[in-house]
Amino acid sequence: MEDNKKYFHALQVKTQKCVACMKCVRVCPTAALRIRDGKVQMDEKRCIDCGRCISACKYGALVPWSDSLEITKAKKYKVAILSTAYAGQFSDKVSYATAIKAMYHLGFDEVLEESMITEYYGKMIKEYLKSHPQIRPVLSSNCPAVVRLIQVRFPSLLPNVLHLESPMSVLAMYYRQKLHLEKNIPDADIGIYQIVPCISQVTAVHQPEGNISDIENGAISIQEVFGEALQVLPEAAHDDRKIEIHTKGLSWSVSRMEAADLDDGRIKTLAVSGIPNVIEILLKIENQQIDPYDFIIFHSCTDGCVGGVLNVENPFIASSRIRHIISIEKDTKFEDDQIMELFQSGEFKVTPLEGRSIMKLSSDIKTALEKMKRIHQINATLPGLDCSACGSPTCITLAEDIVEGKATMEDCVVLLRKKVKNNRKKVIEV
Amino acid sequence: MAEYWFYREGYEEQAREHFKTLPDPAIKLEFSIGERDFVNAGNASSQIKMALKRLGVDSAILRRIAIAAYEAEINETAHARGGDITGNIYPEYVLIRFYDKGPGIDDIEQSMIPGFSTADDQVREMGFGAGLGLPNIKKNVDVLHIDSVTGGRTLVEIIVYFS
Repeated sequence: MEDNKKYFHALQVKTQKCVACMKCVRVCPTAALRIRDGKVQMDEKRCIDCGRCISACKYGALVPWSDSLEITKAKKYKVAILSTAYAGQFSDKVSYATAIKAMYHLGFDEVLEESMITEYYGKMIKEYLKSHPQIRPVLSSNCPAVVRLIQVRFPSLLPNVLHLESPMSVLAMYYRQKLHLEKNIPDADIGIYQIVPCISQVTAVHQPEGNISDIENGAISIQEVFGEALQVLPEAAHDDRKIEIHTKGLSWSVSRMEAADLDDGRIKTLAVSGIPNVIEILLKIENQQIDPYDFIIFHSCTDGCVGGVLNVENPFIASSRIRHIISIEKDTKFEDDQIMELFQSGEFKVTPLEGRSIMKLSSDIKTALEKMKRIHQINATLPGLDCSACGSPTCITLAEDIVEGKATMEDCVVLLRKKVKNNRKKVIEV
Repeated sequence: MAEYWFYREGYEEQAREHFKTLPDPAIKLEFSIGERDFVNAGNASSQIKMALKRLGVDSAILRRIAIAAYEAEINETAHARGGDITGNIYPEYVLIRFYDKGPGIDDIEQSMIPGFSTADDQVREMGFGAGLGLPNIKKNVDVLHIDSVTGGRTLVEIIVYFS
């Protein structure tokens, strides 16, 4: 099944740096990577930008891409939206308020936090659950890698996905309108930039699924911002401007804390993080082998957004710091009922998500059956070690690649070795 | 010995034709199931479902197959002494055979009533044995055939058509 849609990926492949170590091939949850002719290849349609291969690659062949801080210069009025994970990157010596002030010293006119919106977003989820009683469980759409995973591997569950913009995009949409109406700033002058913890959020900003593009003007990595922020920390520490900080909502950087925040005793929530766990739970939902949950929060990274590859700090340290900030710092409640009005008028709705057809062997079932038969036959002759030395992740995927004409039996190193051994025996006998 | 047949309306003729001619499947997937092996329970139905997904079977139909197959697989694990599962895939339908090692069903008609259960406490503690298994299978399939010998083995066959 081929479609001609072009896919943007924040995952960049630097072919010349690949040493064919196969590590990336083994960790990819959608079998999007192969090593062919000694170099890594990525299938654009299958890649969900989860970033697991980036963590696995030690040679710089798979690297993240994100917008540079430089791009903010193009706009007159610059707004940063900080992911909740940002708060976990700085050591205890740097207060959360100082970390936010540093952003102003990097040239932003306004700094918003994802954590401002979580309370309203929780309300939206609850209203969504109420207005969609026939859909259970509802699956969170906050993690773009998981949404893409569902499109690629679990298209039957797409109707269950929360069809709402992510919290950061909701905040961006609301704020763009507000700047326009209240400060009379022309839209062309406004630059809204997400400061993100992972590549899937970069991809989501540049190629959103099921929503209108151009909500944000760019996605800059926490890593890059962190490096620059360190330079301006001394000034930021002495900056006595009054800012409000929103700490309660920082809990959404950690899956379990988000689930606890949403569970008011009336809705039953589940938090799942890490791709292998996410896949296991999605399989269970598909087979209806799971307790009846109202809302399930999925994050492809360990522990939630704190685990993203564009962060600086280890996810467990970051989540501990965030917990500490929540308990010691005073939260400011963010209030503007305009947001709920926009929600009620359907402003944050997304168009129905569509699947990607990578699972189907063919659009015609008879051809698909023929192919599957040959795949099973070839697989039966393969060693079953799933060693990935051939460049395909498992024996069964090599069998598929052979049937699709993308590999040959000779690619199996184990069989080749046996053959060579046998031939040697024969030569010696002669 | 007891036998039970259920045909969803409109499928009886096709189904009888199948059982008369017993055609060879295009793909055959075979599994063996351990008694009370709750860790691996669900693997066979998962793999059959995965194969059907790859063949492009419609997701709503796939869901019905997955639910019915999982229920029947759990039955073999939780209520019987394990057994075999065979997924026979044809271009127009799938027939899954669950052949357990006993102890047989005394009264099939009774076990089709929602809520009726003979499960013991250990099984109930695991969250199974609510007496909804067979009725749930029936609700999701086009054909259900049960053949059981009291004290002996039970054969459960389900057919779901792809369109």
